[in-house]
Amino acid sequence: MKKIMLCCSSGMSTSLLVKKMQEEALKRGLETEIRAYGASEFDVQMPNYQVVLLGPQVKYMQQDLQQKASQHGVPVDVINMMDYGMQRGDRVLDHALSLIR
Amino acid sequence: MSTLYNQFVSVIERQISPLAGRLGQQKYVQAIRDGFIAALPFMIIGSFMLVFIFPPFSPETQWGFARAWLDFSAKYQPQLLLPFQLSMGLMTLFISVGIGASLARQNDLDPVTTGLLCLMAFLLVAAPLKDGAISMQYLSGQGIFTALLTAIYAAEVYAWLKRNNITIKLPPQVPTGVARSFEVLIPVLVIILTLHPLNLLIESATGMILPEAIMSLVKPLVAASDSLPAMLLAVLLCQILWFAGIHGALIVTGIMNPFWMANLAANQAAMAAGQALPHIFLQGFWDHYLLIGGVGSTLPLAFLLLRSKAAHLRSIGKMGIVPGLFNINEPILFGAPIVMNPVFFLPFLLVPMINATLAWFAVDMGLVARVMSLTPWTTPGPIGASWAANWAISPLLLSLFCMFTAAAMYYPFLKAYERTLLKQEEADEQESPTLAAVPAR
Repeated sequence: MKKIMLCCSSGMSTSLLVKKMQEEALKRGLETEIRAYGASEFDVQMPNYQVVLLGPQVKYMQQDLQQKASQHGVPVDVINMMDYGMQRGDRVLDHALSLIR
Repeated sequence: MSTLYNQFVSVIERQISPLAGRLGQQKYVQAIRDGFIAALPFMIIGSFMLVFIFPPFSPETQWGFARAWLDFSAKYQPQLLLPFQLSMGLMTLFISVGIGASLARQNDLDPVTTGLLCLMAFLLVAAPLKDGAISMQYLSGQGIFTALLTAIYAAEVYAWLKRNNITIKLPPQVPTGVARSFEVLIPVLVIILTLHPLNLLIESATGMILPEAIMSLVKPLVAASDSLPAMLLAVLLCQILWFAGIHGALIVTGIMNPFWMANLAANQAAMAAGQALPHIFLQGFWDHYLLIGGVGSTLPLAFLLLRSKAAHLRSIGKMGIVPGLFNINEPILFGAPIVMNPVFFLPFLLVPMINATLAWFAVDMGLVARVMSLTPWTTPGPIGASWAANWAISPLLLSLFCMFTAAAMYYPFLKAYERTLLKQEEADEQESPTLAAVPAR
């Protein structure tokens, strides 16, 4: 079971991408839990996931959030702008999986 | 032109972005934003109640349905007003608890306890008691800045006491549950012993209680926030940040929110008193005239994208149109892309600024009804505009008009961008036979 969390300002635009990633995971027969949350829920939700990907518009939060996540060994990275804009569920899923150890 | 653009982008990247990042992540800015988010549902529904009290019909109307509604609301006004008064009219209480809970999360404290501490701290200075009744005067917009300050103060006092382990010490034999029941007594005591005397002192020195004194201090700032230059500055900042791919609206609305709430409450009070509404630039104005379809008013652009000759832009249009109706436009901003795309730099900055100016004068001249209600920012533009102004028709028309001007301003730039993309797509197609031949080999 791969647990992936997406995070942006209010978890709305990343929730669009969640669906695309779930479809892709289903296609590959992967068991995943993918959810989107707003930045204010980060502290509570992050420990339940193996990796956190941020929407590019909140890239400026990465340093702060990574600091908090490091205590739990959770990597925090930013989604590529173009993949985000094009809603490339496959590419973002690859990105997330590559970060899970 | 291109070197000027490059210089501009480098200033944004090296100076403005990091600053905005720090500001957006600042603890109190974040807490205030969370506090407003927590209070929002109460305020949205509370202000929605106003339409029952002030039906959107002319008082002289003879149409049966409208007549019946008007008569009903006139007869039962106090009863109808109650839910509004005890939600929107008490917004500072919800905001206090929300800020407390957010600071608690950031400081590893119990959110319920911290929220309640902040609530008490605010009531202590802002709810003068007389003959068994507390005054509501400062529990709405008038008390908003005080609520922010007392909430931050109370949460910080609690965090400081906890950090420095200042609590009632009990022998280790006492069960932890019992010990914890004493833990929060000290912060309550410290907050009462500091804020109450401070309030009394200020009252005896100036004749004003704390919220009154704070409101008179920030009054010039609140008045300035409702002006054309302030609005243009706010929207320019938001657009520049978003052009750099930073969520600028989050930062700008975070700062504007207390001002918008104070002025919104003033508009509602004027409405209830049957006076002209004093303020123009409020959240409903920002969301439904300047951010139609999201930052940069990209909904009209999404419609144009749907009919683009370039396959890439058509697919972005398809992806962006439905979220765009609800003012979410990341697929368009990052997909087209608009972010860091020099072709869209000018229209992206100018569209909302020109629409802001047009809408400001339309409202200022009395052609369009003013905002008096709080709406969810995800409401489709024209509907939200009408809702925000108590379901008047004129704001709906203005919002549609803003969509047309946005479409007209984006169009030439879109065409220029489309031409470059088409050339690329053509070049790709010419290359593709050779590319296709590779895996076949």
